[in-house]
Amino acid sequence: MTNKISQDVVIDTDAADEPARRSFLKNTGLTALGAYVGMNIPFEDNLMALAQGMSEEDIMASKDGLILMNDRPLNAETPAHLLDADVTPYEHFFIRNNGLVPDTALNMDAEGWTLTIDGEVDTPLELSIADLKERFEVVTKRLVLECGGNGRAYFNPGASGNQWTTGAVGCADWTGVRLSDVLNAAGVKDSAVYTAHYSNDPHLSGDPDKDAISRGAPIEKAMAEGSMIVWEMNGEPIPAVHGFPLRVIIPGYPGSVSQKYINRIWVRDQVHDGAKMTGYSYRLPAYPVAPGTEVPEEDMVIMTEMPVKSLITFPRSGTETPAGQATEVRGHAWAGSGDIASVDVSIDFGQTWIATRLDPAKNKFAWQRFRADVTLPEAGYYEVWARATDMNGVAQPPVVPGWNPRGYGNNMQHRIALIAT
Amino acid sequence: MNKTLISLRAALCASAVIGATVSVSQEAYDPMRPAGNPLVPGASTQTPAAPAAEPDPELGNLPAGPGAEDTYYQCVACHSTAIIRQQRLSDERWDYLWKWMVEEQGMFEPDEETRDSILTYLKTHFSSER
Repeated sequence: MTNKISQDVVIDTDAADEPARRSFLKNTGLTALGAYVGMNIPFEDNLMALAQGMSEEDIMASKDGLILMNDRPLNAETPAHLLDADVTPYEHFFIRNNGLVPDTALNMDAEGWTLTIDGEVDTPLELSIADLKERFEVVTKRLVLECGGNGRAYFNPGASGNQWTTGAVGCADWTGVRLSDVLNAAGVKDSAVYTAHYSNDPHLSGDPDKDAISRGAPIEKAMAEGSMIVWEMNGEPIPAVHGFPLRVIIPGYPGSVSQKYINRIWVRDQVHDGAKMTGYSYRLPAYPVAPGTEVPEEDMVIMTEMPVKSLITFPRSGTETPAGQATEVRGHAWAGSGDIASVDVSIDFGQTWIATRLDPAKNKFAWQRFRADVTLPEAGYYEVWARATDMNGVAQPPVVPGWNPRGYGNNMQHRIALIAT
Repeated sequence: MNKTLISLRAALCASAVIGATVSVSQEAYDPMRPAGNPLVPGASTQTPAAPAAEPDPELGNLPAGPGAEDTYYQCVACHSTAIIRQQRLSDERWDYLWKWMVEEQGMFEPDEETRDSILTYLKTHFSSER
């Protein structure tokens, strides 16, 4: 089904045409880039394209093997076998946009960029990227980002939004500063309840008074281990589509909390009510509901911690392997609650389980590698299922868990076909 | 475990694949395909057949039919048709989404006749109910 979508999208490029919004800096692109002092130049092989500014079409061309879900706004997921690397490279990192990619990002122009910290703080701050680098300890952490709606395609009845299957997830090395260090420098007041994140990405309607998205985190989560303000992804300036020049990472929460293109963090004395914080967006029913239930809006609560999950990234589904010989199966496991306790795989539809070898996490909220050698007894069709268990003893279910109106938090066990010959 | 597997296979594969020959259909089978997944509750009763309609390349490949043109011009003001073509929603969800787009996303609200035409079209072609 998704393949069909991607083909269709290629055909209807007329819909992707943008009006005069894209007036690129043709000759000043390099100057703008040079203004971003102290950074490596991304896509070094592709400098000419960069000098002329990127378009959203260029972005898809710079990705490899992703399945396009939507061309405006740009959304694309990664097939499981392309997520095999420990650190997801740019070209395989999924794309989730609520609005349009801002021109500042497309042009990689960070000149004059500032981040404001205000609200329930003793001393409001306005920090340049140079200030962030100078004033705070620079750290690099390997952190998973996953869309809250990853797995939505499997809900029945269907839920509105992009029909992600398993590929709205990636794990990159993010370089920046601890969000807690910055908030502490501003002095968080006792009245602080929630962060509110603001960016310059244009709303789809083109209305400059509307935010494409403005979400936030409980102040305790913003101050917790792993939450960061970052300017580098995998050792390069954050690419345009992933939030150049600055974004927040709130690991273990739905990806939408990790606001891209961030220019303001407003510390609030109440739960943030910005764009896509309210209604049904990134919210779950306060109580379990039967599939298809119309849940009243006031009974929807904000989704916080992402569930325990795993993905088989090798071999690719449908691969042939000799019967009676051991073959390696591997992948990654992660959880919003932190580290993973164990991952098991099954080659008999969950009747028996085989313990895998699990690597420790590089740091909290990094995904963890699991490996197992499985032997398929005779020729024929097999499935390999993976089941991760977190440190609280919570494991992935074999079926789609807790139906909800917008299709969030599906952590059903991942399965691949493996053909013994 | 071998025994279990053998009996399972016998049960699952009516077309009994024996020996080294592997059928093409087996190789093409995707256990994670979104529709018809045996582990998804109610999957077998799902996938109601939407009216067969040819995609109209002039209208972003929306299925041709009454309301397609109104739908196209209303929706592509903000987003492409790709997101529409992914949906399978209840009538109530479509009504909610319409209200949400008007009230919160700044969508232009057309006259009643056009609105009804669009909503009927969406509920016909992108429905979990029919």
